[in-house]
Amino acid sequence: MEDIKYVFDVKKDDFVRAGETSSKVKKILRELGIDSSIIRKISIAAYEAEMNIVIHSTGGQIVLEITPGVIRITANDRGPGIADVELAMKEGYSTATDRVREMGFGAGMGLPNMKRCSDRLYVTSSEGTGTHIVIEVDLKAGEQGE
Amino acid sequence: MNKMKEKYFHSVVLDADRCVGCTSCLKVCPTEAIRLKEGKACIIGEKCIDCGECIRICPNHAKNAVTDSKEILKNYKYTIAIPSLVLYGQFRGNVGINEMLTAVKKIGFDEIFEASVGTEIITNVIKNHILRNPEKKRPIINSSCPAALRLIQIRFPELLPNIADIETPVEIAARLAKAEAVRRTGFSMEEIGVIYISPCTARMTSVKHPIGIKKSYIDGVLSMKDVYGMMLRNLGSNTEDLTRSTKESLLWPIIGGQGEPLGIKNYLAVDGIHEVIKILEEIEMDKLEGLEFFEGMACVGGCVGGPLTIENPFIARRRMKTLAKGLPDSNPSDEEIKGQIEMYKSGFIRLTEAIEPKAVMRLDDDICKSIKKMEKIKEMLKDLPGIDCGVCGAPTCKAFAEDIVKGENRNAVCIVKTMKSFNKEKPQS
Ligand SMILES: Nc1ncnc2c1ncn2[C@@H]1O[C@H](COP(=O)(O)OP(=O)(O)O)[C@@H](O)[C@H]1O
Ligand SMILES: [Mg+2]
Repeated sequence: MEDIKYVFDVKKDDFVRAGETSSKVKKILRELGIDSSIIRKISIAAYEAEMNIVIHSTGGQIVLEITPGVIRITANDRGPGIADVELAMKEGYSTATDRVREMGFGAGMGLPNMKRCSDRLYVTSSEGTGTHIVIEVDLKAGEQGE
Repeated sequence: MNKMKEKYFHSVVLDADRCVGCTSCLKVCPTEAIRLKEGKACIIGEKCIDCGECIRICPNHAKNAVTDSKEILKNYKYTIAIPSLVLYGQFRGNVGINEMLTAVKKIGFDEIFEASVGTEIITNVIKNHILRNPEKKRPIINSSCPAALRLIQIRFPELLPNIADIETPVEIAARLAKAEAVRRTGFSMEEIGVIYISPCTARMTSVKHPIGIKKSYIDGVLSMKDVYGMMLRNLGSNTEDLTRSTKESLLWPIIGGQGEPLGIKNYLAVDGIHEVIKILEEIEMDKLEGLEFFEGMACVGGCVGGPLTIENPFIARRRMKTLAKGLPDSNPSDEEIKGQIEMYKSGFIRLTEAIEPKAVMRLDDDICKSIKKMEKIKEMLKDLPGIDCGVCGAPTCKAFAEDIVKGENRNAVCIVKTMKSFNKEKPQS
């Protein structure tokens, strides 16, 4: 009952608005009174997921769901998908073009950062279909602000 | 009511007679701390960071700062003025530093103590000690802007450990001035009054309610605007040799003046509260890798842009740079630096008290209730025009919905919505 859900569209190659979704996520969590260290983790993870949709996909959505026990970020895109998820998860692995790298993206740390900043990370993807990512962070008792 | 006032003392106050309820200040407030109530722009105490944006924007001068009056000098047997270095940029024409300081003294002070003593110490200690501590969270954030500090408390609590735990130039100057005067004059601490001449509203608040220290050594704060007038009359005669300022200290209150003398490449200096917010967002998200030092100043141009200054910040900056050219370079000896680091280690010029986060942005203490309230706000927003006109008294439609859900500002109505439904009901003719 006490769940709340927000859906944000993320466009391909839209660098002007890139980062806006994770900013909005952060603001919502702050207003809810979530502990600031958890806000930081979620917003970093959400940012990486958002940027991957902007850079690597043809567009998609970020969904934020909050329940009293867990915060969940779901990132869905329409493709092209990741051929080898295990490889993509490796630190430093990136298929980003030189152009993208010049702009300060594509260090290959996005997926590893999502892992580091979450309690659970699920990546489902294959070539041809889209990529589906779920990032979860638990709200343990006593971690809801001071 | 009185209790509330005590709890959230602010130097920024409303002159209700002058306020016409125009919504200008609502829009510029970086923490959405202003609401129109019965047509007057009231400040929400717990959210205000005393940045002074509202003072600057108000076309009717209805927002002001509470400062002390000259009468405060009568409370002390011996008085010391510490003028903010920004004062040096306030006079057009060829007014020299000694001439200005003499004019300040003639207001009725026994002694002038320059804030530049403090800027030198801060630069030396950060450069030679704090920056050398690998344990200290990066980027190290300047502690010199009290409005930025309050902003970090309420919006970026994760960055509190990054703040350089050293006092501000004025506070350091006040401590040294008082200690020296006690030794020299034989008066007690209480008999000596240290009065700061301030360009800054937030500093005024920090003197009454310090952040990071137990008690300020500053006994009174005069607004630079008030002092300017008093000084004008005194300029020009019997100039004393009072200044010991260096080039670096004159550049210190100009944006970049704190990061530059540290001798590091990876520093970033940002001025203007809204830009500071943007960069702090990036720092909080670990997006500025390798950044060693962040200098964030709430006012445009740095302290030269303070809300209590007279001169345009860009002209003041030019003037200060010109004056700086005629001053000697800062050239501290190893001995001096060692002594200053000791002073920092002993706690005398250090922020010894924890700077606590303030969760004023949250809807409720209980997360379940917060979620319910958020859901209600979301529902209400679907029905509001979303044009953030401010006529209801809240800066945005979202703030309007929040206030209602929180049970504050119950009487507020959305005129745009009312008009729309009125138009719909009108029969077509
Ligand atoms: N949403 C996505 N769609 C397609 N490919 C992706 C997506 N997300 C990640 N990838 C692939 O995984 C690689 C590693 O991702 P990541 O760790 O975020 O590093 P980076 O984005 O810096 O390349 C990317 O270079 C890309 O090949
Ligand atoms: Mg990435």
